[in-house]
Amino acid sequence: MKTVRLSLVLAMGLVPALGFAQPLGFVLNSDSASISLIDMATHRPVGEVPVLRQPHHITRAPDGRFVLVGDTVGNQILYLDPRTGRVVRRQTISDPYQLMFSPDGRLLTITGLARNQVDIYRYDDRTGLTLWHRVPARSMPSHTAYAPDSSAVYVSLQGSNRLMAIATGTGAVLWDARVGETPAGVLWNDGALLVGLMGQDGIAVVDPADGQVRRMIKTGRGAHNLFFSPDDRLIYVTNRVAGTISVLDRATLRVVRDYRVPGGPDDIEFAPDGTLWITQRFDHGVLFLDPETGRFSRVDVGRSPHGLFLNTDQTTHRTAFP
Amino acid sequence: MTDPFDTVAGYLQEHVVVPILWQLGWMKWEDLAGGWALFAVYGAAQVALMFAICMPLEKFLPVERWPDRSAVLTDVFYTVLQRVGLLPLVTFVGFYEAQTTLNAVLTDHGIVPPTLEMLFPWLLGRPVISFLLYACLLDFAEYVRHRVSHKLRWWYALHSLHHAQRQMTFWSDDRNHLLDDLLGAVWFGTIALAIGVSPMQFPLLVLLLRLLESLSHANARLDFGPVFGRLLVSPRFHRTHHGPGAAGRRSCNFGAVLPWWDMLFGTADFSADYTATGDVTASETLASGGYLAQQGAGVRRLVNDIRGDSRQPAPRPRGGGPGVRPANMESP
Repeated sequence: MKTVRLSLVLAMGLVPALGFAQPLGFVLNSDSASISLIDMATHRPVGEVPVLRQPHHITRAPDGRFVLVGDTVGNQILYLDPRTGRVVRRQTISDPYQLMFSPDGRLLTITGLARNQVDIYRYDDRTGLTLWHRVPARSMPSHTAYAPDSSAVYVSLQGSNRLMAIATGTGAVLWDARVGETPAGVLWNDGALLVGLMGQDGIAVVDPADGQVRRMIKTGRGAHNLFFSPDDRLIYVTNRVAGTISVLDRATLRVVRDYRVPGGPDDIEFAPDGTLWITQRFDHGVLFLDPETGRFSRVDVGRSPHGLFLNTDQTTHRTAFP
Repeated sequence: MTDPFDTVAGYLQEHVVVPILWQLGWMKWEDLAGGWALFAVYGAAQVALMFAICMPLEKFLPVERWPDRSAVLTDVFYTVLQRVGLLPLVTFVGFYEAQTTLNAVLTDHGIVPPTLEMLFPWLLGRPVISFLLYACLLDFAEYVRHRVSHKLRWWYALHSLHHAQRQMTFWSDDRNHLLDDLLGAVWFGTIALAIGVSPMQFPLLVLLLRLLESLSHANARLDFGPVFGRLLVSPRFHRTHHGPGAAGRRSCNFGAVLPWWDMLFGTADFSADYTATGDVTASETLASGGYLAQQGAGVRRLVNDIRGDSRQPAPRPRGGGPGVRPANMESP
C-alpha cells in the first residue's frame, strides 16, 4: 500500500483577519481560484482565501478541527481552520474533486473526475490522509454516498451514465450499473440510493444491492444534487437546467414543493436560522432562500461558486438514512 | 459587483448553452461549456476592442490604400472564427482537459507539476502579477516557435498563407493555415502546461497576446519611438517582418508582443521604412483566395515542398531589402 507523502506546509498568513465575531460560511469559487468567507449573520463577504487553481468541494473532518478543500487542478487538499478560514496545511493529492467522509469517520473517499479513479483514504488528524484503495473507474467519477455502516461507497460516473459500488474494506467493485443520463449527486435514503440525473428531469431510485433502477421521480430538468433537511423530514433536489429546487417528502419521495431558483443552483447548506444557502454556478453568487416564503436574497462571490460549508455547531449534516 | 463578462457569459450559459447541451444529451460537458462561454464573450469583446482601436488608426494613418479590399474580408472571417469560436474552445476546453489529466497523472507518480506560484509563493493571490509573468514567458515561447516556422521549409509552406497577404490589416493576425494553427496551439499549450499556467488564465493570456498582435498587423503608420518601441512590438516593427524580403527562411522581427527576444538574439530590425507586404513565392490563391481555397492551397504547397518541388526564393536581405518596394503610397 502506498502512503502518500505529506507536504505539510504552514499557512503563509493568507487571511489577514484571524478573529471573526460570527461563524463563517465557506464558498468555493471554482473558476476564480479562491474561497469566499461569508459572515453567517450578515451574509456579507468578510474575506477571501486564495488557492492554487480550482477548488470544487469541501467537507468537515470528523473531529471538527479542519475543513478539507479539494483543489482539483492544483492537486492539493487544503486543511482550513473552520473558525477563521486560515490555511493550516496542504497535502499533495491528485485530482481531488468530490470528497466525503464515511459515516464512521474513518475513511475519506475522493473522486478523481479527470483521472477516472476513486481513492479511498484513511484519515488521521495528525498525519492527514493515507491511501487505502485506488479503484479505477469509468468516465468521470463525480459524487459519492456511503452505506450507513460505511461498508460500501457509491460513486456516480458522470461520463458513462453509471453508478458503481465499492467495498470500502477491500476496494473491490461490487457492481457497476447504468442508472440514467449524466448521474451526479447520490444519497442513501431508507435502504435505497437516490441519484440526480443531470441529463434527465429527475432522480433515479436505485437498489444498493445490485444497482438496478427501481423507479424514477420527476423533479426538474438537470437534477443535480440532493440534501436532507436538518429536521430529517425532507430532501431538497437542485435542478440545474430548470432553475428550480424540488422538495421531496423523505418517507414517500413525493414532490411537495418547488422553488424557483435562478442562476444554476448547485450545492445547498442549511443555516441554523432555517435559511438555505445555495451556490449559483452561472450567476456567480450565493442565494439565501427562506423556505417558508420562497423569497431569497443573494450576494456576489467569485466565479462559478460550487462547494459550500457553514461552520455551525451542528455536526456535518446527515448524508445517509439507514 | 460581478464582472460584466461573467454576467453575460453566465446568462449565455444558463439560457442558451446548457439547455442546448441538455437537449443533445451532452450534459457531461456542462461544466466546461461555462468556461467556453466566458472565453467566447472575452473573444467577442476583444474583437470589438481591436476594431475600436485599429479602425481609426487605419483610417487616419494608413500606410497603404487599396481600391479593392475584398482580400481583407477573408481575414475578417478568420478572425471571428478564431477568436469567438475555435480559440476559446481549443484554449480552454483542450488545455483544461490536458492539464488536469497530465498533472494528476504526474502527481500520482510523485511528481508535483511546477507552477510559478509554487516556486514563488508570494505570487499566490496576486493573479495580475502572475498573469504578466506568464505572458512574458509565453511570448518568448512564441518567438521561438515563429522563428522555427520560418526556418523549417515544410512549416513555412503552411505559414506562407499568413505572409501572402498584400493587404495587411489588423484583421490579418488570424489568417493562418489550420495546420499551422494546430502546430502553434500544440507548442503554445505544451509550454503553458510545462510552466503551470492556470487553466482560467490561459485563454485570457492568449487573448491579450492576440490583441497586441492584431495591433502590430494594423495598416497604420505607427511607430512607438526609440524607447517604447523597444518595449512593445509596433505596427512598423512587425510590418518589416511582413515585407517580401523577410518572407521565408531569412527573416527578422519574429517577436509577437515584446521585441526583447529579437534584440537579445540579433534578429531585430528597427529600420524606419514602411515596406510593402506579401510573399512573392506564394500563389495568388494564398494571397487573395477565399477561406477554403486558401486552406487547400496551403496543403498543396506543403505537399509540393515535401516532394521538393517548391519555388523557395533565394535568401534575401532583411526587411524590405534591395528592390523591395517601400509602401510609401501615403504620406507620413
